[in-house]
Amino acid sequence: MTDGPLIVQSDKTLLLEVDHDQAEACRRAIAPFAELERAPEHVHTYRLTPLGLWNARAAGHDAEQVVDTLLEYSRYPVPHALLVDVAETMSRYGRLQLVAHPVHGLVLHALDAAVLAEVLRSKRTAGLVGERIDDTDVVVHASERGTLKQALLKLGWPAEDLAGYVDGEAHPIDLDTSGESNLGTDGAPRPWQLRPYQAEAADGFWHGGSGVVVLPCGAGKTLVGAAAMARSKTTTLILVTNTVSARQWRDELIRRTSLTPDEIGEYSGSRKEIRPVTIATYQVLTLKRKGIYPHLELLDARDWGLIVYDEVHLLPAPIFRMTADLQARRRLGLTATLVREDGREDEVFSLIGPKRYDAPWKDIEAQGYIAPADCVEVRLTLPERDRMLYATAEPEDKYRLAASAPGKTEVVKRLVAKHRGEPLLVIGQYIDQLEELAADIDAPVITGGTSVTERQRLFDAFRAGEISTLVVSKVANFSIDLPEASVAIQVSGSFGSRQEEAQRLGRLLRPKGDGRTAHFYAVVARDTVDQDFAAHRQRFLAEQGYAYRIVDAEDLEQATEEPA
Amino acid sequence: MATFSEHLRGRSDDELVRLLLRRPDLAHPSPATLASLAARATSRPSLERALAGVDAAVLQAVEAVVALLAGSTDPADGVRARDVVAAVGASRADGPAVRAALATATDLALVHPAGGRASDPLLRPAPGVAELLGPATAGLAAPAPHDPDAAAVPGLLAQAPAAGRAVLDALTWGPPVGVRPASGPAADAVTELVRAGLLVRADDRHVVLPRTVALALRDGRTHRAPATPPAPEDLPRRDPALVEAEHASAAERAVRLVAGLLRLWGQAPPVVLRAGGLGVRDLRRTAAALEITEAEAAFVVELAGVGALVRDDGEESAHHVPTTAADEWLALDLPDRWARLAAWWAATPRWAALVGTRDERGGVRPALGPELGRPWAPRLRQAVLGLLADAGPGAAPDAAAVREALAWRTPRSVPPADAVAAVLREAGWLGVLGAGALPAAGRALLDPDADPRPALAAGLGAALPPAVDDLLLQADLTGIVPGRPSQELEALLDASARVESRGGAVTVRFTPESVRDALDAGATADDLLADLASHARGGVPQPLEYLVRDAARRHGRLRAGAASSYVRTEDPALLAGLAEDPRHADLGLVRLAPTVLAAQAPLHELLSALRAHGLAPVAETPDGQVLHAAPTVRRVAAARPRFAPDEPGRGAQPPAERAAALVGVLRRAEEARAAGGSTGGAGAVVRPAAAEAAGAARADGTPTLRDRASGVAAATAAARAGRPGTGSPAGTRGGPRPSGGTADPAEALGLLREAAAGHTEVWLDVVGSRGALERRRVLPVRVDGGRVRVVDTARDAEIVVAAHRVAAVTPVGAPDADETPEPRETDTA
Repeated sequence: MTDGPLIVQSDKTLLLEVDHDQAEACRRAIAPFAELERAPEHVHTYRLTPLGLWNARAAGHDAEQVVDTLLEYSRYPVPHALLVDVAETMSRYGRLQLVAHPVHGLVLHALDAAVLAEVLRSKRTAGLVGERIDDTDVVVHASERGTLKQALLKLGWPAEDLAGYVDGEAHPIDLDTSGESNLGTDGAPRPWQLRPYQAEAADGFWHGGSGVVVLPCGAGKTLVGAAAMARSKTTTLILVTNTVSARQWRDELIRRTSLTPDEIGEYSGSRKEIRPVTIATYQVLTLKRKGIYPHLELLDARDWGLIVYDEVHLLPAPIFRMTADLQARRRLGLTATLVREDGREDEVFSLIGPKRYDAPWKDIEAQGYIAPADCVEVRLTLPERDRMLYATAEPEDKYRLAASAPGKTEVVKRLVAKHRGEPLLVIGQYIDQLEELAADIDAPVITGGTSVTERQRLFDAFRAGEISTLVVSKVANFSIDLPEASVAIQVSGSFGSRQEEAQRLGRLLRPKGDGRTAHFYAVVARDTVDQDFAAHRQRFLAEQGYAYRIVDAEDLEQATEEPA
Repeated sequence: MATFSEHLRGRSDDELVRLLLRRPDLAHPSPATLASLAARATSRPSLERALAGVDAAVLQAVEAVVALLAGSTDPADGVRARDVVAAVGASRADGPAVRAALATATDLALVHPAGGRASDPLLRPAPGVAELLGPATAGLAAPAPHDPDAAAVPGLLAQAPAAGRAVLDALTWGPPVGVRPASGPAADAVTELVRAGLLVRADDRHVVLPRTVALALRDGRTHRAPATPPAPEDLPRRDPALVEAEHASAAERAVRLVAGLLRLWGQAPPVVLRAGGLGVRDLRRTAAALEITEAEAAFVVELAGVGALVRDDGEESAHHVPTTAADEWLALDLPDRWARLAAWWAATPRWAALVGTRDERGGVRPALGPELGRPWAPRLRQAVLGLLADAGPGAAPDAAAVREALAWRTPRSVPPADAVAAVLREAGWLGVLGAGALPAAGRALLDPDADPRPALAAGLGAALPPAVDDLLLQADLTGIVPGRPSQELEALLDASARVESRGGAVTVRFTPESVRDALDAGATADDLLADLASHARGGVPQPLEYLVRDAARRHGRLRAGAASSYVRTEDPALLAGLAEDPRHADLGLVRLAPTVLAAQAPLHELLSALRAHGLAPVAETPDGQVLHAAPTVRRVAAARPRFAPDEPGRGAQPPAERAAALVGVLRRAEEARAAGGSTGGAGAVVRPAAAEAAGAARADGTPTLRDRASGVAAATAAARAGRPGTGSPAGTRGGPRPSGGTADPAEALGLLREAAAGHTEVWLDVVGSRGALERRRVLPVRVDGGRVRVVDTARDAEIVVAAHRVAAVTPVGAPDADETPEPRETDTA
């Protein structure tokens, strides 16, 4: 028995005691192959998954390294079966390779003939492969490269894609670090540098060929995309979640790279421009008319050299299918979390690529790039009348009733008063609740119905400090840059999704000019489903290492005096 | 030359003790004389047992001796050790091992010296061994009269067609019988070989490679290579610390699973199938509740059944219910609980791996069902564990390697691969193995005669990591015990949290439900928080404290109770006083609200009481007491335990001492016999049942009842047997009656076997079909399956005699013994 910081459980979870002397070294050693599952204050839980181990293999780590690391840091003897399983799992990656054959084109090559025989017998690979060349090689239809990779992953034999990429149409793109295109309010250029982790992420991606970069919200994922484009120097297709996000990508690219507005096209519901760099929304691509996707040809409109997927964890399933056809092009996925509510992590792995870079929130926060946050759940006791109403409501109405409880307005008012003068967001799901709130605290409201121009205007005003309070609905969840918002109050959320919580907290975690602590409040109706959903979301927060407290609405003032 | 029984007589006491120790079946029940010992040692069951217990090298040596002598008819023939060494193809380095194997075979009386010098004797197989090994020992065909002459074979082979060579090669190392191809070049080659005399046609479809040809092809050897044990150094080795750690965690898990099963079945006992056992669906449900596979659940269920922790409650609709023994078991410490499980497992003949397999009628065998007994199960477990122990510390062979080693140890009875795998799997589940290797505690199970439990418990106690009393509580409502929780902490967490993962540490999660369970069990929020705080290293985080307080706030706001009937009215005045009326005391009326009364009495009683008494005055009764609804836990009386480990070692005397005592007895019997021989000139002739019957059939009506267990009585009977019978057939008188003969059935068969092996003639007394004794001078050929095949030398006819008709056997050429021998005193064993 050593005195290591790590406890290896037989269910393949790794418990890392963070207060231990060697905790930091151990964390670095296990990060490449173990997925951080939760990071509360004392003991962080990592999990060994096949995907994680294959990610590590793709990044060049071998089983021996993994086993040695576990043995080195483990406090108790490591279960033998687990070590065997690690070695076994890792040895499965790369036994099959997709290679470009000079004569036969795309070929599935096996280092182990038996494995090839096994996968070819499976129904999943039927129709994806062509003629068998010899014992260890079989021709693959170029169009099935992605589908085959998916099938092989499902069979437990993930293929290493060594077939390379098409170069794509060259287009000069450089990072403009001089600040010439990023003039300050005084008109002087503002030079800047990639942050070290952004440069590492771009390098990691580029050396890996294709893959996913995991960075917390507010850590500057757009710049990683820009850096990747500057490496690629080719025409680029950027897929984003919505129009606002598309505009922000566009502005950021103009500011940070040598690209000019003419070179960047927007392909969305309102505009259909195809330029050397085209930013398209998931929505327009997945638009279906009469059983066909009319905008799908965009993918083939140019000889794209790089495809960037923003918020890859939100990538809708049809996009996956389309992506399966794009395997010959370099693909960069950007995300804050690999956790998908639909559990399709393996499709991200096989179709976009393995994880190429990962930095936990807490690390980046510690480096001062994102703000610390204080999370508080405010529990509101419903008055007798509302409780009766809630108790007798139909199940499908219960959440709405609880989430938009009238008492919440009073709490929000008190919180707004408490943080008067600080940039503050009120986030909710139900429009009428938000409008009512907006009227009560006298703040503008942004919902799905607000025009893009109006949204932009309000966001700009908020950024400039002309408005200090903004009430936003779900549309604000994704990819909208709201710097300097230091307080957020969530009054209702959409059924407790983890990634939504990450998004919302991300809103607040952009670096603050003066290093203030960000505040995140969730107002929750006691003894209702609202509270249950909140518990789910909070668990995610606590797992991410954010201290959170629960206070009763009645004790709000004194309880929030001393931030935890 | 010396016959087998002569050899046995000539053994030293030490050698006899060794024989009895190595072949314990020879000593149970104790034989009366060395002759009966010899007879027993050459009986088929005993030889079968002895051969089943020898390793591959000894078996090979015995086979070589048998194979080398298969062609000889001269009883003086024998093989020397060096012949055997050469026959198995041993190199100079292997020589000592082969000689050692021969020595073992001699010790076991599977081969015996029949002449030659004492240091380099001529060895012969014990009578009966050759028959047991079968007709094609070492893959050599039995010698046949038309086999080509050994001297001529090399010449024949040199002329053999090239195509035939492959056929010969295929048959060289046996089995010697091949199927004749119908057509093609191979068929022609075979025809050619048959013509050349190198193959012999056995029947229409088969050909046999004659012995002489095979020996020539083998360069005179009987075996391709000497048998060597699998090398233990090739086995994977585990770090002993890892072995102990995994043993401890598996043992803890096994105990937890059995306890979980008892808790589960105590609350909801599954029904007993009509034919006995646990239904497939119930097994599946149990497996799901325990979060293990069905195979492991079957094992856990069987384990609990073997220990009588659960049993059929015997009621009309029967259920499997934990017994009172379960409570005793649950009250023990972890190591003691585990020690009992491990001891039960090692000793039970029940074979849990059969659960879910189908029997001959196609039915699925259920867990706890009646069909799971396999008598060999404890022996196999013993053998596998013993092998792991011998392989050295940390050795973790897989099932194939274990089976290979078992095939070396007991080549005549190699267990099937899946049985070996099942033993290893179960031992792993139970923690008798850790990481596939035997931990210190597991060695306690190696001695089948000792009570393993103290050593098991001590071993586990030493292997368990020190208990940790620390709890790390975190804001995400999880808690972590960074080690094995102390009993107190385990109980606290058991009551108030859900376990999320186990291993080196335990992680738990507090949920509103888990906290509510703790409150249901009687804790208050303050108690619970104080308990948690006393263990928590970093204090209780605010969200957890809030959770507990919030759960406590909600706890008990609804109250529920039991009632059989109720009274309700719109008018409180009607109920006023009703519940408090002493005349209604037996109704158990309880006022729940001004307009509601609950009653404990059944509805009809309540109604008749109300009718009888009408309405009554008002008073108050105390009620509303909170009932902590304890789940009903059922128990039935423990059945007689199937394993009675409380008796220490089964025999009072250690086996070695008993064997030595027995040899003493045999020696005295031998001396008495020798003394009798010198005075009366006759050996003991013991009369078997057939002779008895014949005697009884005779007119003299001599009472012939005899107590077979008593040597005195046997000797008396022998005396009677020697008395000439009146009216007995001429044959009985006609022949001489030499000494060295026997009438004891087992001994008689032994003599016959010996004679068959040595090609010597005997006098055979047979009870004829009319009950009369006949005496013939015969050459026994084969003793097998209750029949004796002999050649009647006088008539030159082969006859078959049923063994039970053999009245007595006397070797020809023994001194004349046609006199009534004196009854002798013999010590009873």
